[in-house]
Amino acid sequence: MMVSENIRMALRSMASSKLRTFLSLLGIVIGVASVVAIMNLGQSAAESMSASFDVGGLNMITVRPRGRGRETMIFTEDFSYTLQNEIDGVQEVLPLVSSTANVRQRDEIAESVVVQGVTSGYFASNSLEAENGRLFSVEDNISRRQVAVIGTALAEDLFPAGNAVGSYVSVMRNQSKSFLVVGVLASHDTSQGSSFDDALFMPYNTYTERFRHTDRVGSYSIKVKDGYDAVSVAEDIEDYLDRVAGNDYYRLFSPATVKAMADEVTGTFTVFLAAIAAISLAVGGIGIMNIMLVSVSERTGEIGIRKALGAAPSVIRKQFLSESVVVSASGGLIGLILGIIISVAGALISGWIPVISSGAVTVAVGFPILIGIFFGWYPAAKAASLQPMEALQRE
Amino acid sequence: MKEVIVLDDVSRIYRMGDEIVYALNHVSLCIYDGSLTSIMGPSGSGKSTIMSIIGCLDVPTYGHVLIDVEDTSGMSEKDLSYIRNRKIGFVFQHFSLLPKMSALENVEIPLLYAGVRPKERRERAEEMLVRVGLSDRMKHRPNELSGGQKQRVAIARALVNNPRLILADEPTGALDSTTGHEVMELFHGLNEEGKTIVFVTHDRSLASECQRIISIRDGGIEDDGL
Repeated sequence: MMVSENIRMALRSMASSKLRTFLSLLGIVIGVASVVAIMNLGQSAAESMSASFDVGGLNMITVRPRGRGRETMIFTEDFSYTLQNEIDGVQEVLPLVSSTANVRQRDEIAESVVVQGVTSGYFASNSLEAENGRLFSVEDNISRRQVAVIGTALAEDLFPAGNAVGSYVSVMRNQSKSFLVVGVLASHDTSQGSSFDDALFMPYNTYTERFRHTDRVGSYSIKVKDGYDAVSVAEDIEDYLDRVAGNDYYRLFSPATVKAMADEVTGTFTVFLAAIAAISLAVGGIGIMNIMLVSVSERTGEIGIRKALGAAPSVIRKQFLSESVVVSASGGLIGLILGIIISVAGALISGWIPVISSGAVTVAVGFPILIGIFFGWYPAAKAASLQPMEALQRE
Repeated sequence: MKEVIVLDDVSRIYRMGDEIVYALNHVSLCIYDGSLTSIMGPSGSGKSTIMSIIGCLDVPTYGHVLIDVEDTSGMSEKDLSYIRNRKIGFVFQHFSLLPKMSALENVEIPLLYAGVRPKERRERAEEMLVRVGLSDRMKHRPNELSGGQKQRVAIARALVNNPRLILADEPTGALDSTTGHEVMELFHGLNEEGKTIVFVTHDRSLASECQRIISIRDGGIEDDGL
């Protein structure tokens, strides 16, 4: 007999006792809805977190010397080249020094401004562009010119009239020194804590000569080559630094590593919650089994008639199994819709990107079918094995 | 004459707790092609058991049942369902129609199990309902039909797969006498067309309309009118 015939019979049987069917579906509906909602929201959270990591940030690794001991003496400007040569997958290593200082322009004072000494490659490697004026050239660095590039927010603070490029600012750290502003950066937000918008940049050599008086760099900004995994490059750098300096004398910060860990945590958490929700699916299956057993016992007479008219046991089994699968799958469908509504609403409320996870849809469609077969098997087998004469007598 | 059904030394034993009940005790009989037979007996005589065994709804504990010369001993439930579908048309006292289906759909059921395609199923079922005089009641559900009409639907359903034997269990038992007569006329007409019919009844007047009356008592044949 055709499958469509069985499905038609199943729908008819469901329609004949709507409330009862709905109540026994509820377990599956709630189970599927919660699994779908959790999986969707888990993916939403993960994708929103990824999106919050800067596009340019994921291939950047920062290494910062720690403490002032003899072990940190190797962290010189030249060590940039050592790192670049020793570690596979490193595009470039830019030394960086930074501190905070007050910056003044006539009567305007900006306090605790992040002041960074950078090489000319720094801007390109962080995807920073000039909104006005220019960025540093190699000559600025070699000649230790007293020039500065400032972030857009700092420019607004110091130059309300907007004529920053070509003006002078005073950087006050121990003593006050005057710098010519040659460029203003285009606005560039990152989630890594430090915003480029509020910072002042000067050539690396200018900084070390005027303010630092030591060979040691503040930190290294390392760019990972395209096609290399930033997480494993970060691990290689750690292995190398552990050997040459020791674990205690530096800190490494890798957004890609943080993201990978965050993804793992989110993933584990989602699987864990989904597994709990899956228990409610199994409970839903018991509901299906219950309704099917009731159905078989109520329709014993019908089964007797069908057998008298020539239905083989396998035909009866398929009929009841189809009914159980159709009931369960309809619950899954309702649950899927409900779960999507819940997860989209939840994502919007949390400010995440709403996502419909393909895994959730697979679970919502596949699980109820499996549950329908698993929990429908026994009632269907019971129906199939009824003795025709006994079944007819119960009509 | 050709035998449609042969019961060869058939016994059916039920075990009720520690007690063993012989519902049928060494019964042998033949039903011939084109005959109109009634099996008669009071309730508890074993006539229901004999009906289920002739109709392959039950299998004997001992003995053999031959349908169209084919021995059904040792057949699986699947094979027996095939025989019920193709060789036997049942008519029950209380009609045994499926309540949620129309008259037409009820008549289609045996064809469904015979693997007939939907279009042919519909045509043959319609033809059968026309034949029993229900051309204007095809889409009606059983609860919209009178008792006589329901039994006509049941007869159409029994006939639709062109079986070798119509097996009717008290077919007029739930009908008033006028309607009962009409239904009996339908059976007589079918018998005249060559259908083999067996009635199982306790009603002497219904039995008296048959060429042959087999009387059953205490699980054995008391009198065979052959």
